[in-house]
Amino acid sequence: MKNQIYELGDTAITIEFGTEISMEFHEEVIRRFYQFQSNPLPGTLDLIPAYTSLTIVFDLGYVASRFQGLAGMKTLVEEKLAEPFSAVTPEGRLHKIPCLYEGPDLAAVALACGLSESEIIHIHSEKEYQVYFLGFLPGFAYMGTTDERITVARKETPVTIQPGDIGLAGNQTGIYPSTSPGGWQIIGRTTTDLLPDGLPLFQVGDRVRFIPQRS
Amino acid sequence: MKNTKKGLFDSLQSLPIFGLQHQGIPPGGGMDTFSLQLANALVGNDLYDKVLEMHFPAGVYEFETSTLVAICGADFSAHLDEVPVPLNQPIKVPKGSVLTCKKPVSGMRVYVATRELKDEQVARIKIMPWSMAPENVLSNDPIRILCGREWDHLKACSQQTLLSKDFAISAISNRMGYQLIQAPLKTASATPLLSSAVTAGTIQLLPSGQLVVLMAAHQTTGGYPRVAHVISADLPRLAQMGPKESLRFTLTDPMTAEYEWIFQQNYLQQVRNVCALKLSQHRFDHH
Repeated sequence: MKNQIYELGDTAITIEFGTEISMEFHEEVIRRFYQFQSNPLPGTLDLIPAYTSLTIVFDLGYVASRFQGLAGMKTLVEEKLAEPFSAVTPEGRLHKIPCLYEGPDLAAVALACGLSESEIIHIHSEKEYQVYFLGFLPGFAYMGTTDERITVARKETPVTIQPGDIGLAGNQTGIYPSTSPGGWQIIGRTTTDLLPDGLPLFQVGDRVRFIPQRS
Repeated sequence: MKNTKKGLFDSLQSLPIFGLQHQGIPPGGGMDTFSLQLANALVGNDLYDKVLEMHFPAGVYEFETSTLVAICGADFSAHLDEVPVPLNQPIKVPKGSVLTCKKPVSGMRVYVATRELKDEQVARIKIMPWSMAPENVLSNDPIRILCGREWDHLKACSQQTLLSKDFAISAISNRMGYQLIQAPLKTASATPLLSSAVTAGTIQLLPSGQLVVLMAAHQTTGGYPRVAHVISADLPRLAQMGPKESLRFTLTDPMTAEYEWIFQQNYLQQVRNVCALKLSQHRFDHH
């Protein structure tokens, strides 16, 4: 599929590399994230990677007065994408996260999936997950994809979730870095601080493995 | 300024801080960034300096030194030492003066910028003889929007509704987003989307057919259809609307969005330059 480039309001441009979660599309997101980070377009304020897209937020006044606005930036983005890729893409880190599988929703998830609790734990912890992007809360990493046997829907009504709680939603898994309302199914928790010194532990492109712990 | 009585939701706010959204850290900032910058301009601060943002009921503050203050945005019937004072006008206040807000007249958020007068002892409250009239804020014109990527997720009749009907703002709206109240809109497509970036002003369509406009404290990413976007220049005006008020949307184009933004920024810069000049002249006359 050809990249889709479109305006997101009057301050940002989104480049969409695909419409389904896949490592191929996501590797392109990461490559382009580092390309635009190491060699930013004029007026860039933020680069926001997601599953299959990269969004560039611009200083509206700057690009409007000097570069014919977002329309002009769109042309520059297209030119940049056509150039051979040059920036160095750092190797993502592998994080081993100790996990106590005693979440309040573990039993409900097991029931919904038609598996035992220990099977859920085994399936969740045997796979290495990709950090696709950070969003929702400072330091919250969208990780996936989970095995299809443990795919579960979000809760209908969000409840209060504690820092360190590990949840499932669709084919994603994630850890809440801070207290927040959330609809993810909580199967476990970790004592690892996801915001050491206030900065996110995970970066886009990192990998995560959950290590089951005994209580 | 010393806080002597807490307000409902007072906070120090600056312009949004960008550069960390890839870590899930939103840019935040004040809601009505126009009034925030105007208040700074009136006292000769940098436009991006932090100012006090207050909702009603607002806090009570006592000035600890001779200060130059400007109050912008919502009209909460601001008083200094029990005397009503005007909006959008710099005021010199002596040490010990008390700022109170008596009643919500119009708008949702008031901005108070201050600058300490280090080499001047102000004896009594003095309203500077110049004011600015930010006529493009707090008007009743429809809020201008651009079509979003998923504009077509709305059926044609609902697109028409969005552009012609009055919308009320729900009471559960906050600094993260405004929930709009209307009969559920009809969706033409139910294809689920993958989460991707959102911005202040993004109008999301919830599965229930309701709309949410993301405001200053929005999250960095979202997975709901982005049917439209409020233009940046109209976000301050939207930020001054609250529950019980109704609003309308009208479509505009990117050229207008960019022009209006530059117009506002130039206006603020001019106000700042004029005020800096007048303040220096005023001091000269005074001595």
